[in-house]
Amino acid sequence: MNIASHIKYFVNVQVGARSYIRLKRRQGARKPRIPLNWNTKCLAPPLKIDGLTKELIALHYLSGRYADGRKSVAWVTSGAPVEILQALGYYVLYPENHAAVCGVKRKVVEIAGEAENAGYSRDICSYARTDIGAMLSGKSAVGQLPKPDLLLACTNICQTVLHWYRVLAHHFDIPLITIDTPFIYTESSDADIKYVKRQLEDSIPVAEQACSRRLKYKKLQDVLKMSKDASELWLQIMQRGRHRPAPISAFDQFIQMAPIVEMRGKSATVDFYAALLREVDERIEKGIGAVVHERKRLLWDNLPIWYRLRYLAEYLGERGIAVVASTYTNAWGELAPFMDENRPIESMAKTYIHPILNRSTGSKLETMKKMSEDFHLNGVILHSDRSCKPYSIGQIDQRNKLIREYGIPALLLEADHNDPRSFSEEQTASRLDAFVEMLEN
Amino acid sequence: MKIPQRKHIIKEFKGQGGKVAAVLPIHYPRALFRAFSILPVEVWGPPGIDSSYGGTHLQAYICSIVHNALSFLKTGGLDEADFILIPHTCDSLQGLGSVLIDFVRPPQQVLTLYLPRSKGKTDYEFLANEIRRIYNRLSEITGLHPDDTAIFKAIKIEENADRTLAELYSKRQMFTLDNLDFYRLIRTREFLPAEHFIDMAQSVLSLLNEEKLNGVPIILSGIVPEPMEVMSALNEMGACVVADDLACCGRRLYQSGSSTDPFQRLSENIFSAAPDPTRGDSLQDRIDYLKGLVNKSKAKGVIFYDVKFCEPELFDLPDLRKALKGEGVPSLTLEVDINDPISNQMLTRIETFMEVIK
Repeated sequence: MNIASHIKYFVNVQVGARSYIRLKRRQGARKPRIPLNWNTKCLAPPLKIDGLTKELIALHYLSGRYADGRKSVAWVTSGAPVEILQALGYYVLYPENHAAVCGVKRKVVEIAGEAENAGYSRDICSYARTDIGAMLSGKSAVGQLPKPDLLLACTNICQTVLHWYRVLAHHFDIPLITIDTPFIYTESSDADIKYVKRQLEDSIPVAEQACSRRLKYKKLQDVLKMSKDASELWLQIMQRGRHRPAPISAFDQFIQMAPIVEMRGKSATVDFYAALLREVDERIEKGIGAVVHERKRLLWDNLPIWYRLRYLAEYLGERGIAVVASTYTNAWGELAPFMDENRPIESMAKTYIHPILNRSTGSKLETMKKMSEDFHLNGVILHSDRSCKPYSIGQIDQRNKLIREYGIPALLLEADHNDPRSFSEEQTASRLDAFVEMLEN
Repeated sequence: MKIPQRKHIIKEFKGQGGKVAAVLPIHYPRALFRAFSILPVEVWGPPGIDSSYGGTHLQAYICSIVHNALSFLKTGGLDEADFILIPHTCDSLQGLGSVLIDFVRPPQQVLTLYLPRSKGKTDYEFLANEIRRIYNRLSEITGLHPDDTAIFKAIKIEENADRTLAELYSKRQMFTLDNLDFYRLIRTREFLPAEHFIDMAQSVLSLLNEEKLNGVPIILSGIVPEPMEVMSALNEMGACVVADDLACCGRRLYQSGSSTDPFQRLSENIFSAAPDPTRGDSLQDRIDYLKGLVNKSKAKGVIFYDVKFCEPELFDLPDLRKALKGEGVPSLTLEVDINDPISNQMLTRIETFMEVIK
């Protein structure tokens, strides 16, 4: 950490980036709040907080761009126990989130192509291909990514991240911390939680050594408290979807979830979700629904199709269908009750072993059934995601059970969360049409 | 060489009052099952069956090993099994285990085994506890409670079988067996009781040929060499598979342990095997291991023979190939669905590769 890099960071981030963001904010204020191509006949105007979301994300990536030499950098998986790293002052980057941004900005084919040209099969996860492509070529939708000093992979979302991060560790020649979370086929045992807790404890000296700092217990408690506060707010925001009309859709949530994924444990994130909750409540007071003429309400299962968010929102919105909840966004809120700053390590072990992706296919079905009841839903769209096997395996039986045993209409929609080459608009439209017709009947 | 058939072995074992466990890939404590008089019979697909039955539960982008295993189960192929053991090897096998427990609910008892992804003290202990958990579950189901002595007796036999397997590999180039016969022999370890395997292997070891086997030495890497016709094709093209990094074969050359606790000992055995991406071993460990195999066996090239959609293998391929290339070792990648016959295109690619390395 030298003085030159501190000055560079201060000039570029604290002065340059913030000035740029203020400028963009002023320019944005002069523009109409509703984009010209926004379909106001079927969708409510964009959330007012959208501008702040963009600023937070932009500032986050800009901070990373100039982190080299000023802050230690860690690349982590999306469901990783990040609080230890936040408490140690790491700049934390989520490659999955970066890949999703590339997906939204339609950069995936070009960037993932770099990985494919280097020999990575198109049968591996499109997030991984996007980020490995970015690593190999330097291409990105957000500018330059900082080189990591440490990698943290937690297997609570898939085994893919383990294979992916082994590639990163080899490429950058840096330490990889693996937090291995035994899969919960029925229920988690004390031995499972103890195993995760011991790994978390073992990870601390490795993370300390990589950043040359000592972890302060009080700081860890504070960070965990902020993670919990933000997660609870996020849960409340999603639960507002129970209102009719739902003030926020799952498509809105996919965008607004970025801070809870990549800025957990920060005060700015807590403030952000408090503001979003206020806006959502304001919408409820005014009777504003995310879909203008909400007639039917659906649940979305699995990751979003990042490169077709608006298309799907409008396609369904035009037919009066609001997707008001999602098992995916719910995953970043439902574990808040496990977090306890008075027992940080043990509660982190409990929290991070329990994400939906680390629970059985039967448990996921129960989650869908419960959400269908709680949110008064008319059906479920299960995105069969070619790039996410652990989320997708079991969906055929889940769909069948939803329909046959619970009387809930359900559709299995084939696509890929980040690779548009695995998406057929025509096929999707005809499947959605048939599903909508079934819902009407 | 006469290779016994699985169905005969199963029938014979059950005729003696034993039970059978169908075991999915890759690592598990064989000796624990034998201590309960349960014969583990491994299920690597099998290839060449109607996989459409698996398609009623699994998407098309799940690998053919998992598809076939489920199809095999649904069409009665595992009816002789009393248990199904699914080690937590990858996302697809994790999903299969969960779908079986929650939705398919076969008549057999479904057991799962979580395998740690690191190799620290914490991980050894966790795996020992997992094995103890399976012991308790088998005790509940069978009413048997084999003591430490009985478990150790089974461990010693399995360790002996593993040493015999290692000896077969170390003397590979002194056998007159061609690729197909050698791998048919090696793969009997997937279903033969250890004591039978030792007898059969010893009879082969007694027929060593002083002269080295003719053929261009190559190494196979991947999960499973199915369909096995690939071995015949390699024979015809003048290749001799002198070593392998296959999950069903060379990646399971377990070392004997030293712990006096049976569960720790079984945990040690599993951790002692060659680097394996499904257990989280680093890429550098895999590269070093492969380079070592090449040097030791004097192989002229490496064929990566991978099952389509197998992420654990596919992620490592570019770096493994790059490292081999750096050492001047050519490599070839082939991707297969275990239900498909060896295509002409694949044969041509192997032929061309063999021409290059000759």
